[in-house]
Amino acid sequence: MSAQTPYEPKIVAFLCKWCSSAGSDLAGVSRIQYPANATPITVACSGGVSPQFVLSAFHKGADGVLVSGCHIGDCHYMEGNFHARRKLYLVKELLEFTGVEPDRFRMSWVSAAEGAKFAQVVRDFVEDLRPLGPQDKLKAERP
Amino acid sequence: MIDLGALHTQVRDILETGEVRAVVGWRRGSRGMLAEPVTIATPEEAETLVWDPTCFHNLSLTLVEERKKPSWRPGKPIAVVAKGCDARSLTVLMQENCFRRDEVYVIGVSCAGSGVLDERKLAQRLPGVEPDSAAFDGDAFVCATAGGEDRIPARELMADRCLECRDAHPKLNNVVFGEAQPRAFDPPFAALARFEQEQVGVAERWQFWQRQFERCIRCFACRSVCPMCYCEECVVDSINMAVGADTTAAEKANRIRWIERSASRADNIGYHMTRALHLAGRCIDCAECERVCPVNIPLRLLNNKLEREARVAFGYEPGASIDLPALVASFRDDDPNHFIR
Repeated sequence: MSAQTPYEPKIVAFLCKWCSSAGSDLAGVSRIQYPANATPITVACSGGVSPQFVLSAFHKGADGVLVSGCHIGDCHYMEGNFHARRKLYLVKELLEFTGVEPDRFRMSWVSAAEGAKFAQVVRDFVEDLRPLGPQDKLKAERP
Repeated sequence: MIDLGALHTQVRDILETGEVRAVVGWRRGSRGMLAEPVTIATPEEAETLVWDPTCFHNLSLTLVEERKKPSWRPGKPIAVVAKGCDARSLTVLMQENCFRRDEVYVIGVSCAGSGVLDERKLAQRLPGVEPDSAAFDGDAFVCATAGGEDRIPARELMADRCLECRDAHPKLNNVVFGEAQPRAFDPPFAALARFEQEQVGVAERWQFWQRQFERCIRCFACRSVCPMCYCEECVVDSINMAVGADTTAAEKANRIRWIERSASRADNIGYHMTRALHLAGRCIDCAECERVCPVNIPLRLLNNKLEREARVAFGYEPGASIDLPALVASFRDDDPNHFIR
């Protein structure tokens, strides 16, 4: 990124195939305007998001990581999001403990019908990330 | 206090009757006061076993290593001398089906009121002196040096994990020596609470951890010494990729590398965070990783942090029972949800 371009936060968004990914789709087809900072990665289930994915995204230079899945009780695989919640709570606590800004990691429950909520989640995330500046704590030094 | 004679008798008996095929314990080491792990298979060797404040090692590691050898055969159980923390790690290993309960004969030794000493604290207390032996006499460590005996209050020399120990009496045991006494030292997670009071903000925390992680030389001693790090292929060892005759250069070059093996700040952090997360709900705070670290990284803080979170948020206590489900393989309806939008 050249010095002239203003800083735009890069977000890696892990979206579950059944709810949040469909929710982002709905935001798109409903023509809801929201920042284009999030790179969506569709996963089978939020329960399959390994803490390693989150760390790896930061390692590769993400400014923020979003994990989004079905609402509790609505998981296509019955209990995947319960597992996600527990695992990623630990990731969140560990990131905060080691001094990474807590706002860099976020989770949300977005159903397939909540296009507007998805847009709002991304909008809020971008706004919270902007003042933090580029993430260089967990980013690899090599090009 | 533990009657060493009774321990020897017990070990001799189970070896003589063939109840176990071997006993893993500690013997006098070749350097100064330090004990070293030893595996014995004959009743005559029973006398060589020792028990003193330098028996740091978590001997369940020996068992795990033995299990991984190609020469491993099922058979009579192997006996392990285990402190409170070691017994907890054996519990976790059994919980993960590394061993069946009947494959291990646990000879519990209760640290009741005592604990192991911390070599770093000793080096500060007696700079340049290598004691010949160390003993615990109830409320102080007695270190025998060339210049006579030094009596140092327990609090000043005892390892942090022992000061904060919550289960000095091994719960999992076939036979146990020493009594279950309440401990009179620090509450659990005292060192962690101290750290959190000193380093409050995100920026201070980062300053602290950055200094720690920059030092890491990636010797992997923490991984080698950890009884829970028994994976056949570690996430940092992408060198284990199966390479066949038709593996292309591109495939080899593009193999998944989550974390590089070489030392750089970002990769060190990735490694230590990954390790902490892999140990969440499994680490039983034997603090061996911190003891063996050549550059003094306070690894125990990371593991303690997640242990405390698991306890507070999920009511999970690692090593409490063999029948417990794993922390990340179970959930409750009322797990914290406040952090999710």
